[in-house]
Amino acid sequence: MAKLRNVAVVAFSQAPIVARDEHRIASEILYPEVRSALDQCNVERAAIDYQVAGSADYVDGRPFGFVNALDVTGSWPPKQDLHLEMDAAFAAYYAWVRMQAGDCDTALVCGYGKNSEGEPERVLNLELDPYYQAPLGLGPSATAALQASAYMARTGVADRDLAEIAARNRAAGAKNACAHLREAVPAATLAATPWVVEPLRRGYLPPYGDSAVCLVLAAEGKAERMCDRPAWIHGVDQRIEMQTLGARDLSRSAGAKLAAEKAFAMAGLASARDADVIELCSATPAEELILREAIGVQAGDRSVLNPSGGPLCGHPLMMTGLIRLGEAFRQLSGRAGAHAVPNVGRAIAHAAQGHCLQQNLFFVLGRERRWT
Amino acid sequence: VKRPVAVVGVGQTQHASRRSDLSIPGLVREAVDRALADAGLDYGDIDAVVMGKAPDQLEGVMQPEQFLAGALGAHLKPLIRVHTAGSVGASTALAAVTHVASGLFERVLTVAWEKQSEGNAMWALSPNLPFTPPLVAGAGGFFAPYCRAYMARTGCPPHIGPMVAANARANGGRNEYAHLREPMTVEDVLQSPVLWDPIRYLETCPSSDGACALVVASEEQAKKGPRKPAWVKAGYSYAEAMWVPGRDQVSPQAGRLCAQKVYEKAGIKNPWKEIQTVEMYVPFAWFEPMWLENLGFCDTGEGWKIVERGEQKMGAHLPVNPSGGVLCTNPIGASGMLRLGEAALQVMGRAGEHQVEGVHNALGHAYGGGAQYFAIWLVSDAL
Repeated sequence: MAKLRNVAVVAFSQAPIVARDEHRIASEILYPEVRSALDQCNVERAAIDYQVAGSADYVDGRPFGFVNALDVTGSWPPKQDLHLEMDAAFAAYYAWVRMQAGDCDTALVCGYGKNSEGEPERVLNLELDPYYQAPLGLGPSATAALQASAYMARTGVADRDLAEIAARNRAAGAKNACAHLREAVPAATLAATPWVVEPLRRGYLPPYGDSAVCLVLAAEGKAERMCDRPAWIHGVDQRIEMQTLGARDLSRSAGAKLAAEKAFAMAGLASARDADVIELCSATPAEELILREAIGVQAGDRSVLNPSGGPLCGHPLMMTGLIRLGEAFRQLSGRAGAHAVPNVGRAIAHAAQGHCLQQNLFFVLGRERRWT
Repeated sequence: VKRPVAVVGVGQTQHASRRSDLSIPGLVREAVDRALADAGLDYGDIDAVVMGKAPDQLEGVMQPEQFLAGALGAHLKPLIRVHTAGSVGASTALAAVTHVASGLFERVLTVAWEKQSEGNAMWALSPNLPFTPPLVAGAGGFFAPYCRAYMARTGCPPHIGPMVAANARANGGRNEYAHLREPMTVEDVLQSPVLWDPIRYLETCPSSDGACALVVASEEQAKKGPRKPAWVKAGYSYAEAMWVPGRDQVSPQAGRLCAQKVYEKAGIKNPWKEIQTVEMYVPFAWFEPMWLENLGFCDTGEGWKIVERGEQKMGAHLPVNPSGGVLCTNPIGASGMLRLGEAALQVMGRAGEHQVEGVHNALGHAYGGGAQYFAIWLVSDAL
């Protein structure tokens, strides 16, 4: 692997996820998080070279929702800027690429969009191809159920296994001050919740919610001054697959497998099991199992999975992926509070978007610089 | 940037108000297939895909890059989707340039498109903003006061818009891909109804179906290619907040700053003398003199005089929008990339009947939002 520029996450701020932030618009939810992220690294907005955001117009229920965010990201005087119609984790990915290209040392990465303005089950149906799949009325719960069925049929995983994974995530989320669902729930209780779409029960599906997130990236030379314990990026890769559900083996994620292999190779990480913490953007227990298989992590391995509680404890669309990266930073930099994992040296953060894990992004991060 | 980047392939669709002969993937493929053929490359040669388009509400498909991933040949490749309002086609191409400049990718496909016949642009472009009375007037109703303010500020007379519109159509008539190609006179424009004072019907861009695709590549790849590349000497995208007291909507600071950065990086000291043609984003005719000033081709208040003297026509000092520009073709998401692609064709010397003579440097420009987003590149025939 050629030598790349060392870039680190130096700050992360997140509005605690709630079902509905009744009295604020999306940009108002974002503003305090931008301020807080800048305060964490003790700089003013003028110190940041580049800004890139992730959000989706359909989540906001209006065109150009992202334009309002310019008013709260300090875009005056004008700033170098880009907006991606994607989960903000991909904005962090692009910021990292931008920083590899040079003449940019620091970047502000924001994710926002008020999920409670719409009905995600109906909104996400519109992601499917408009000719053959969307007219069937499939929502994300239905497509996730197709994927879960395919995985269970291939592996023999049972309802009780899904309940246990959901219960583990819920127990972890109880300790995360930013999580939406913060009650530990026993597997037996989750296994008694009603089917939404068989084989997925209410207790195996994520709660959509409102939040806003802001993360700061900085290159070597500046990162050390902005954060006492920067989380250095060791490897990154992302891959999309074709969407057509019938043309993919839904029981596996070829894209996640390839993206993980490439990111781990860049990071010099022999195995995902060498990471102390892994934050997966798994919206259902079946997605967690598919992703674990793709990256090669089994039950009982030493890596701690989703100490934040993961998307099952809070799923603000277009932010859930960036929150995984923020959580990796929190764990590596000693800022994870009650859900801190001791002695974290390396972490993996994953983001996904689209139906049935269509697009996957992996970051590998560590306490030390990757390239010297 | 870390290393040089070149445009090695340009492709665009036949633009029209309705391409009902094609699905959305079909429309996108028409441009992508042409760009790849132009570059002498195939889908397998592409390392990453960068797609852009304006609001998803225009077609009613959310994040359509997901369903287009197969058609774009992006299966198991990195892909990002850009959206920066009207400037998106240009900022998308610049994001692709960044991919190559980073050293991580050799050949990147970038595509921008809009199939406006699938939806209703007036509806999609009339957002209900918090704390703001809805105009329900689309982009024209939004920008008309900016044009009126320009006239008040500079003394721009009422015949300038019609002169710009008639010239754009004359240029579009020479562009085989343009949507509107029928000639019209200044008198025709003056006779057309006022839609949003001062903007008349014939000073307004059409709603189009269309796509544009570019292949951008490293120096090594560019030198192997079948054609003379266009070298990207500089490219930046800037944005500014909407609600700032004292913000100048007529000549936004983001636009001036973006142009200044591009000139600085490209080593341009006098744009009027050193740039031979510019493809700029003019959705309503009055924006042509406004952007001539904002881009630093002349001083404030001089833009409309350039138009009045005809110095921006084909064969004159600085041909503006030799392709006919947005006034002849406007698939919103693609319009910015068409400006950048047309600028590239000019320095490659392959713009066909609308080729400007002796182009060494060309500027491509797009803007969006409430005149808040700017994306500009300068391309050159020499590295």
